[in-house]
Amino acid sequence: MTTRTMRSRHRRTTGIRRARIATGLLTASALALALGACSTPAAEEDTDPNAISGDLTMLTPIFEGTAGQKLLEEELLPQFTEMYPDVTVSVDYTNYARLNEKLTTGVVSGLVPDVMMMGVGWIEAFADRGVLANLTDGGLTAESLEQTMTPQIVEAGLWNGDVYGVPIMLDARFGVARMDLLREAGYDHTPRTWDELVEMADALTERDASGKLTRTGFDMLTIEPRQMFETALFSNGGSLFSDDNSSPAFDSEQGVEALQRIVDLFHEEKVEDTGFSAPNATVNPLINGRAAMAIAHNNVWTQAEAADPEVLDDLEPFLIPGDSPSMFVGGTMAAVSATSAHERAAQKLVEFLASPGPALAANQQRGNVPALTELLESEYVQDDRLVQFAMENLSVAKREGGPPKWLGLRGDVAPAIENAILRKKTAKAALTDLAATFQKKLDR
Amino acid sequence: MTATRTPDVPRTLDPRQPPPIPRRAASKRAARKSGLFGWLMVAPAVFHIGLWTAIPVLATIALSFTDYDIFDAPAWIGLDNYVEIFQDPVFGQATWNTIVYTFWTVPASMAIAMVIAVALNQNLRLRTWFRTAFFLPQVTATVAIAMVWLWIFNPQQGLLNGILSVVGIPGQAWLADPEWALPSVILVGAWQGIGIKMLIYIAALQNVDPSLYEAAAVDGAGPIRKFFAITVPMLKPATFFVLIISIIGAFQVFDQIYVLTDGGPANSTTMMTYEVYRSAFQNFEMGMASAQSVLLFLMLLVMTVIGRRATKGDEG
Repeated sequence: MTTRTMRSRHRRTTGIRRARIATGLLTASALALALGACSTPAAEEDTDPNAISGDLTMLTPIFEGTAGQKLLEEELLPQFTEMYPDVTVSVDYTNYARLNEKLTTGVVSGLVPDVMMMGVGWIEAFADRGVLANLTDGGLTAESLEQTMTPQIVEAGLWNGDVYGVPIMLDARFGVARMDLLREAGYDHTPRTWDELVEMADALTERDASGKLTRTGFDMLTIEPRQMFETALFSNGGSLFSDDNSSPAFDSEQGVEALQRIVDLFHEEKVEDTGFSAPNATVNPLINGRAAMAIAHNNVWTQAEAADPEVLDDLEPFLIPGDSPSMFVGGTMAAVSATSAHERAAQKLVEFLASPGPALAANQQRGNVPALTELLESEYVQDDRLVQFAMENLSVAKREGGPPKWLGLRGDVAPAIENAILRKKTAKAALTDLAATFQKKLDR
Repeated sequence: MTATRTPDVPRTLDPRQPPPIPRRAASKRAARKSGLFGWLMVAPAVFHIGLWTAIPVLATIALSFTDYDIFDAPAWIGLDNYVEIFQDPVFGQATWNTIVYTFWTVPASMAIAMVIAVALNQNLRLRTWFRTAFFLPQVTATVAIAMVWLWIFNPQQGLLNGILSVVGIPGQAWLADPEWALPSVILVGAWQGIGIKMLIYIAALQNVDPSLYEAAAVDGAGPIRKFFAITVPMLKPATFFVLIISIIGAFQVFDQIYVLTDGGPANSTTMMTYEVYRSAFQNFEMGMASAQSVLLFLMLLVMTVIGRRATKGDEG
């Protein structure tokens, strides 16, 4: 993790930088206009960038790695600091695995970063406890955000109807098929029903003479078990929680059926063996032909571009069939600390990062799905069939989270799903026990 | 030489002189001064231990009786956290996994380390190189080591299954199968722990009097007899020390679980420390994490006492 101050950089203004300032101002202004963000008394202050000042700290799980840091520190932040010369930004990089630790220690020590990037499902917990600033007080409303984003995405940043987080990028999970392998097996389309998916997965699965799996017809192990189950649950018409988020709902008939279907694919149809793949596998089995279909993350496209561009033409996305075919989305939201001494400057940074130019660059760097609907027409989205598919299907996107205690609950999901997949428990027992654990924690 | 004794002069006789100090009082004052100086000398250490060890330990014990989620002030809930821990099957499994992990990694790595230390205490060629090689895992980042082991355990392209396939033994999903995941983690733990134990044993072996071996040789003892009759008993203080630090290290295993298995599959490799981490940083239950830490501390205390009894402490 690196912390660097950007003050020295913004002083090295060049002609190119000035052009970037213009671009940055344009994009930020576009967002501000599109979001209708500045219709408050603070709007007058916004017209004068010199009125915005402060030394900001920012914690981010995105922009990780050398390429991400370079993009943020050499491209994006200089644009921002040149738009607002009296603002400096110090960046603390982390990843999603360690974000909770960073935030926890920040809250306990009273050193909460001014700007924080966090995932879908996190906003509720931190907004409910007063850690995040209410951005609606600063002019951002759900209605203004919905002018540029789908309501399902905007909702992820809301708490009690007010905006606490602004979506920057989305991570979608849906079905992806290798059409070349499907065609070899006599299929010219992706599965339309669950029965068809089972039949195709069965036909596409290959084992060697010793029975060792060489190709899975339907890979379910390369994404996190929790997200895999949620994708199946949502597509089967189930929900994680009741409408008022007071009780778990995944142990419903739809939930049990969704999990049972997954278990059956492992043990009855034997389309995949445990251990065949693992979350965040070095090479996604879809890319090297070890999987014909999979529940996959949208960035498989980016991985394929780097590893084997020839398979790109054969990657075909589809919604997991069920009672309510849908897509699971997570994502990254930008939020402001409630204790920030420079709340206006922090909100300006959030607006800047969520504006079309920086958001597009950030999404492109990670191979993710932009939250802004207008970016559907961008070259990046048009060139990435999986990102394009995700953006075209945001109306059927469903997200995890809901109750403020979600962060304390979600870690229990994967062991429960694994218990069912490993047949240590039945699907019904696994979900019933998990629901009881959830309810106990929700009632605490 | 005759000692002349100065007669005690009454204080009232010469008011310009300071009053004479009685010998006992002088001795007391000197002792007090010396004591004060002693306290002054240990003050930095006492301050350090008090600030960085005692206060956090006491705070942990106090927090273990509270419901504290970092956002709100801690609320006193008595023994509720402890009651919940004893009813929590996941923490029960974590405790059992920790005991199993300790049971296998500590004696296995100690035995191997002792044998290696004895071997590397001989006048072998490349002795220094071998010592370095065996110690290397200890000073290598666990994350880096875990990445190598992830490849070794990979069911499809991994080294272990590759070797097994050569001799016709079917491979396993080492880290994905709950039957194999814990043994796999134990293997990594035992391997990684050998280096430091070997180093301590080598240091202890330097202090074993060579004349003991010479006398045994004269009596006709072979290498194995010498090992069990001289080396093992003479290494007893070192063995006690290694045992204690190994138990503590095994009970505190965390990073290899974090990288290799994330506690899975189905909690089959979760450990007490990992559950403390999950409670604190994933569930924001600092009170619960503190209670789990206190139980971990008590278990370590018990294990240390048992270890001390078993090896009769550091008696030579």
